[in-house]
Amino acid sequence: MKRVIVGFLATASLMLLFTEESYGIPAFSRKYRTSCSTCHYAAPMLNAFGKAFKNNGYRYPAGTDPEMTKEEPVSLGSEAYKKVWPNAIWPSDIPGTSPVSVWAVGRINYAAMSTVKWEFEIPHEVEILYAGTMGEEFSFFGEVEIENEANATEIAFPFALQYDMSPGLHVRMGMVHADPTPNHLKLTRNHYNMASFRSRNGWRFRDEHVGLEVWGAGNGSGERGGFTYRLGVVNGQGLSDMNRDKDYYAKATYKIGGLGEVGGTEGAGSDVSDFFLDDNVTLGAFVYSGTASKTGVLDENFSIVGGDVDFWYKRFILNGAIMLMDSRITGTPQRKSMVYYAQANAVLYPWLIGLIRYEWEDQNTDLDAVKPVNAVIPGITLMARANVKLMFEFKKFFDEDSKKKDTFGIQVNFGF
Amino acid sequence: MTRGAVISIIVLIATSSAIAGDIRGKVKARGWKHSGDAVVHIDKIQGKTFPAPAKHAAMDQKNLVFIPHILPVLAGTTVDYQNSDDVLHNVFSPDKCAEKFNLGTWPKGQTRSYLFKEAGCFPVMLCNVHPEMEAYIVVLDNPYFAVSAKDGSYEITNVPAGKYTLKIWHERLKSQSVEVQVPETGDVVVDFEIRR
Repeated sequence: MKRVIVGFLATASLMLLFTEESYGIPAFSRKYRTSCSTCHYAAPMLNAFGKAFKNNGYRYPAGTDPEMTKEEPVSLGSEAYKKVWPNAIWPSDIPGTSPVSVWAVGRINYAAMSTVKWEFEIPHEVEILYAGTMGEEFSFFGEVEIENEANATEIAFPFALQYDMSPGLHVRMGMVHADPTPNHLKLTRNHYNMASFRSRNGWRFRDEHVGLEVWGAGNGSGERGGFTYRLGVVNGQGLSDMNRDKDYYAKATYKIGGLGEVGGTEGAGSDVSDFFLDDNVTLGAFVYSGTASKTGVLDENFSIVGGDVDFWYKRFILNGAIMLMDSRITGTPQRKSMVYYAQANAVLYPWLIGLIRYEWEDQNTDLDAVKPVNAVIPGITLMARANVKLMFEFKKFFDEDSKKKDTFGIQVNFGF
Repeated sequence: MTRGAVISIIVLIATSSAIAGDIRGKVKARGWKHSGDAVVHIDKIQGKTFPAPAKHAAMDQKNLVFIPHILPVLAGTTVDYQNSDDVLHNVFSPDKCAEKFNLGTWPKGQTRSYLFKEAGCFPVMLCNVHPEMEAYIVVLDNPYFAVSAKDGSYEITNVPAGKYTLKIWHERLKSQSVEVQVPETGDVVVDFEIRR
């Protein structure tokens, strides 16, 4: 037995892994005694209310969080202590029960080019998630993620602490939203190509970025649609920065129609409703400027500009995003890259969603020798229960170099 | 109103109360978390019809809960559904006897309504935005009904003296019926023990 344990420890390398914040939080279901589908189109993808909840700092809109909370929080000081400050600690509270949830993921994989074509990767990953509010102005979100990566165990433990002055102004510290791809839309097990695209020195959006962010949201006219913005400064690579330069980013969106970005029901009457409906179009634009370092080579300075569109109409969603990257390394030719995707979802039943995504990635738009990678991802998402999800997904490449890398996967997720 | 009419009404009220009794008792719900929310009602009274009330009944949606959870009404009653939350709500019923109605969604403070026509219909009310929300409308053909309190107690008052079939309906537990003789004055005690 001892040998088995030692062998396991020897083969399990503990590495740091960064992850995106995109999971459903069953602790919120317990806190508010409500179903996952109150906030999720199909967890982790958020619906309109889920986005409004997040935009309110993980709170119900319009200051109604205390009355919507079914679990009595534990007071860390009565309200009247606000009068006593600065001669007392400002009052707050913590969740009445432990705000911890578990999210488990298992996979059955098929890879055309692999020696082992079929494999049962169950579990692929286990997440211990924690999220909630502390009083009226602070909220938190974090996770400890344990993931299998080719029989090595990867561990990540990102978190964010957020000061929620108002829905229009939050200050976030820790795991921030530098990734401009609208992660509330990620319905697939495959990451967006934009998120996974690497700079020449290995930087990518998909890696979690740690730093400070100011962000906010507000409703549009008639309390419909509205805006979001975020501005951030991050390490760019790693919990301990790999270079002395900080990375900077900004993103802004504007939503036309649909539920207000920070919620509310004004002007929202309709003859049809469902948790996945929210007719609107949202336009976004983003920039990122950073420095990527890699051992043994010169630093890479890069900048990214891009935009995205997100169109919801009845049971259909069409969305797409594009980014243009300009990479500069002293002594090498400048490299310009273009990456984009377009995706369509259709809710066949509230528990059955069909989707198809097309991806294009041109590493060097000035160099014809490097052929673009392009692929299509058709898939089906099946919600067996509000907290149990099955995904069937195929990835078919079209370009010559990747043609034999087609993959098929079945993924099961459940949370509690 | 003439003095004669007033006297007639007083006599009518006095007479009717003199020949009416109460039905009361306790419900014990086995295999359920409490003994409340059972509807005890008199079954159809042959040869008697009761006009639909002009006053609407009300069901609220507050803090992601339908209030009340069980609402018995006389056939022909319109129920007004109010949204008291700052989130969108919906009301629909998948039951045929309520025409599978779907009222869509509406802002806080506003109401939408539905007329329940068919007695003997116990449609479930759902919200397609918050699937945990659930309530029932119990549509009856006479006004002699009561909803049990959490401790199981119930009381149907002012029932005309006579022999009736007394029924109990519960959202999960099996219905029962018993014969009951309502006295001209006083009350009759009928207890129920219902189970799955």
